[in-house]
Amino acid sequence: MDSTARLGFAQIDVVAQLAVSTVLLGGIYALIAVGLTLIFGIMRVVNFAHGEFLMLGMYLAFFAFTLKGLDPYLLLLGAVPIFFGVGLLTYVLIMRGVIHASHNVQIFTTVGLSTALQNVALVLWSGDFQVFRPWESSVVLRVAGTAFNLSQVVAFAVAVILTIALFAFMKWTHTGRVMRATAQDRDAATLMGIDTDRVYRLTFAIGIACVGAAGVLVSPLYATYPQAGLQFVTLAYVVVVLGGLGDMAGAMLGSLIVAAVEVGGSYYFGAAWKEVFYFLLFIAVLVFRPAGLFGQRGAETLGV
Amino acid sequence: MTAGRWVAAVLFAAAAATPLVVRDVFLLDSVILILLWGALSAAWNVAGGYAGQVSLGHAAFFGIGAYAAALMSAKYHQSPWLGLALGVALSVGAGAIIGYFSNRLKGPYFALSTIAFAEVLKIVASRWRGFTAGSEGVPVPYRPGFWTLGLGHVAWLYLILVVALLCYALQVYLERSRVGYQLAGVREDEDAAEALGIATRRRKVQAIVVSAALTSLGGSLWAQYVGFVDPSHVFSIDLSVRFALNAIIGGMGTALGPFLGSVLITSLETYLRATLSGFGTGFLKEWIKNAGGLYLIIYGVVLILIVRFAPEGLTGLAARWRTRSERAHA
Repeated sequence: MDSTARLGFAQIDVVAQLAVSTVLLGGIYALIAVGLTLIFGIMRVVNFAHGEFLMLGMYLAFFAFTLKGLDPYLLLLGAVPIFFGVGLLTYVLIMRGVIHASHNVQIFTTVGLSTALQNVALVLWSGDFQVFRPWESSVVLRVAGTAFNLSQVVAFAVAVILTIALFAFMKWTHTGRVMRATAQDRDAATLMGIDTDRVYRLTFAIGIACVGAAGVLVSPLYATYPQAGLQFVTLAYVVVVLGGLGDMAGAMLGSLIVAAVEVGGSYYFGAAWKEVFYFLLFIAVLVFRPAGLFGQRGAETLGV
Repeated sequence: MTAGRWVAAVLFAAAAATPLVVRDVFLLDSVILILLWGALSAAWNVAGGYAGQVSLGHAAFFGIGAYAAALMSAKYHQSPWLGLALGVALSVGAGAIIGYFSNRLKGPYFALSTIAFAEVLKIVASRWRGFTAGSEGVPVPYRPGFWTLGLGHVAWLYLILVVALLCYALQVYLERSRVGYQLAGVREDEDAAEALGIATRRRKVQAIVVSAALTSLGGSLWAQYVGFVDPSHVFSIDLSVRFALNAIIGGMGTALGPFLGSVLITSLETYLRATLSGFGTGFLKEWIKNAGGLYLIIYGVVLILIVRFAPEGLTGLAARWRTRSERAHA
């Protein structure tokens, strides 16, 4: 990390820096993962195009900044409703038709969507890596032997606020209760007079709004390119599987675990190998805890 | 012989006859790729279509095969056939491990675990510079001869045709043998199959192992034919999707499906690549930054439409039309 080189090792408390890095990273991963796990928990669909919406969020922030000089964190106020709308539209046009179809149909529908969106980005905006630095990225904060740039901290703070807002929405509002009821038992929910189509529409829109917002938040920190979503979404799969598909609190915990593995792995073995560690973790979970994390009961519950 | 077998026979006969009629390299290349992608999709179909183990990580086995053959000839100066055999052996091992461990996983979970496996191999191949040359990839030297797999287009065509016929024959076997019926049982209702005394776990692992071995074989041949291997392509999800795409469009779990899908998709790709790359001119020029992605957008849309409106693929559509017209005549 360049800040390490600039400040020298003596001024950085390694353990504290790693711990705070883990928490900051984990907060952002959580926002990506809750959308995915929400959609799975309620709709029983793994959205393989989730990363592409993140990528669209990154491009939105990039163009807003380079063309209009709009600060990405200000843009967020507009980006959340935009992606909510994008989610609604995607549901109505594509997902509604396959919600009761087989797993294979659902998998390949979202895979097809992923391929199409990735290449729309490639055709319109080229495969070049796009990077931009709003002023927040140049401000370094130093607290108790750790150093971070303001972008990381703001991204984390906003991600946590959005995630908590979503938890509160699911727990305390009537609509949230209706959504949880649908997650627990679709058929019973329908019999109780719940309009499940409306629930799915809302779920998909909220999930996409979360990941779109996450895209805007991470855009100053990572390069933007058509396949940018892939690295985050593979990571989100790991998070969600660790926490139990459909389990929102599990996704929070999973985010922290993955962030810890990534931060620790990068520090001790070099950044090049960090993905290997969380994929090995992923495979280990599959091997050793398949019943606990993959059993029908685990997948059926939405632990909010 | 059913209609599907006739269509397949005509297809393979046409492929075999192509070099007798034309020597146009572009056309021969297209036929070779149609057969190769068809064979690879048929290999995927053994696990995905017949046994219901829908994998999105088959690029892992393709990559193992491609790297084994490429490194064996480029780095160790041995015959790529040895690399091919080694790749098949490694893929059998990898397939057995994946099949065994992801046995209890279904639907999206199984797909996720296969994606993770392919991703791990991609990262290892791109980072382990000393062994694989990393992201730069491995150029495969061209040494003329059968033992070194430096062949002309005609020889390649017949070699790949043999592989394609092998894959087709295996699928036909799965449609009429006891093992095939058992796999269908596992696919349709695993609990019921188990209750009937089928060793479901062993059957699933066997299907994945055979599928992995054939995919690896195809990967090795592809590497020698194309002459270049790089991790971001041979281990990509796009490639895994491509194997599945052909089979889905043609019809999953049918012998003809993967080849029918490959004829359509591969020729569509060749055609679109040729025409659409010139698309970024005129008034669209300002909008189109990279025309290379245009055919992939069409892929994605076709995939969405097919699974939505014809989930059983073209062979399924044909069967539906036939029963309808038979009913009309009766």
